[in-house]
Amino acid sequence: MNINDNLKDHILDSIAEGVFTVDKNFRINFFNKAAENITGHNREEVTGKFCKHIFRSEFCFYDCPIATVLQANKNLLDFESTIHTKDGTSRPIKLNAAVLYNEKKEPTGGIVTFRDISELAAIKKSLHKETQFQGMIGQSKQMLGIYELIQEIADSNAPVLIQGESGTGKELIANAIQKISSRKNNPYIKINCSVLPSNLLASELFGHVKGAFPDAIKDRAGRFELADKGTLFLDEVAEMPLQMQIQLLRVLQEGTYERVGESITRYSNVRIIAATNINIDEALKNGKFREDLYYRLNVIPIYVPPLRERREDIIPLIQHFLTKFSLFYKKDITEIEESAIDYLINYPWPGNIRELENVLEYSFVRTTNKNRIESSKLPNSILSFKPQIKENDNLKNFPSASQSKTEMLMLLEKHRWNKSAAAKELGIGRTTLWRKIKQLGIAVE
Amino acid sequence: MSEMLGNQYFMARNYPAAQKELEEVHFNDPSNKSIIKKLIICYTQTGKVKEAINLFNKLINEDIDFIIDTHPQLDDCPCPELIEKIESRGDVVEKSCDYYLVLGIVWLYCDIKKSYDYFKISKEMDPENKQIDMALEIIENHLHYQN
Repeated sequence: MNINDNLKDHILDSIAEGVFTVDKNFRINFFNKAAENITGHNREEVTGKFCKHIFRSEFCFYDCPIATVLQANKNLLDFESTIHTKDGTSRPIKLNAAVLYNEKKEPTGGIVTFRDISELAAIKKSLHKETQFQGMIGQSKQMLGIYELIQEIADSNAPVLIQGESGTGKELIANAIQKISSRKNNPYIKINCSVLPSNLLASELFGHVKGAFPDAIKDRAGRFELADKGTLFLDEVAEMPLQMQIQLLRVLQEGTYERVGESITRYSNVRIIAATNINIDEALKNGKFREDLYYRLNVIPIYVPPLRERREDIIPLIQHFLTKFSLFYKKDITEIEESAIDYLINYPWPGNIRELENVLEYSFVRTTNKNRIESSKLPNSILSFKPQIKENDNLKNFPSASQSKTEMLMLLEKHRWNKSAAAKELGIGRTTLWRKIKQLGIAVE
Repeated sequence: MSEMLGNQYFMARNYPAAQKELEEVHFNDPSNKSIIKKLIICYTQTGKVKEAINLFNKLINEDIDFIIDTHPQLDDCPCPELIEKIESRGDVVEKSCDYYLVLGIVWLYCDIKKSYDYFKISKEMDPENKQIDMALEIIENHLHYQN
């Protein structure tokens, strides 16, 4: 199909993302309508000008996306940057970049697509302010201990191993360490070790030289090189192939590595933060994870407890997610029915915070014409869960049905109808208290 | 090796990195005047004054207007800022022949008369330097035809 230039321009003008292309001298030669809207510049005034004179971002000097693509020989996706609009205001954007080649495979230009994420950034900022520590939510004793530990160890260069079930927020912990460390202004590179086979992972981590394997058409830097003087986050490290574990161990022990297909030894100045959600003891016993590597990585161990072991964090998390969805979906739903809270508190959350977020989003989306989420809007998996209620000794103190309605009312009054506080005084769970209130015929909202 | 990457480094004023990329491009395409024009500036900023004057003479001998017609803004020429930096440095460093030679080179991108004046000073400091003679001769001829 041969599409003429007018049609191409028309198509590019009809999309919501800003698009511009540059020639090999970085002069703009195409600028679509959305780019005009986002930047405030019109096509005529930018065509033929250097992109750095239009976008006036520090990234043009230190982190040009097209230069990054040229260096890494790999397209850039979802890269966050900032530009200055025509009126001088700074605007956060998310961009993708690629290089255009001629038939001789020589770079002849570049294409950048970008979208304005000001609104998203404002939401993130406002949500971040509400978080307890560097984007993390939770005031449980366990989480407060983790925040303290992060502050203590952030500036060290020692490797960190974060363990915890899936969905507990291990990556947020890694981000927090990086963000407050002395390496915060240097590269922060992430890689999931479980998704690549051994041969590709070696190339990803250490880079390769041209001809090292059939697809190696150019030299390419690996993640260790890209993360130089910075931080490398190795997610799902225990699922790394055994062969790679040996190579990683060498980098940790000696601080050196070679690109695949090259004999030049390179030096690594990278702080490693690793994470795993598997049972390490079992992996060590089964020989799936090398003991020597484990001890090298586990210099600073951080264990993130599952949500079911810190149920006091559930309510702050619910509040956080409701605020987030209210902003994202532009719906004023900031409350949740008490009985719905009970369901959420008693559920064991095998998928942890990620599962809680999904459940709340599901219920949020289903809630229409009301400003509170009702329990009927929760997913069936939550509603059908039957907690095993253990009546503990404290229940002996609970007033009997014959004499207790007044006492219960007094107790609730004392705690200003805060059922969590009342339940705490009685030493019972909120659900049990809720059941008792109903049994006593006390009308509650 | 990539001309485009060299151009970006040059645009970002990362002269050592730009020099490395552009040198390779120049090796494969020695007649590319745009590359030579940038490479000359890179050499003046990385202390390779000899390489700078060699290339400079080669280019002005072939097409002096290619440098003279440079527009600071439209061509993103770094020379005005470089001149300011070098001349202010002159208060604290020894003003050697290379110092005036570099100024002679970079001034040609902005003002031919200033460039000529600086080459004259460098000539006084190193009368035997053939490269300076050659640069002065070409510039003099050009000024003569201009008048």
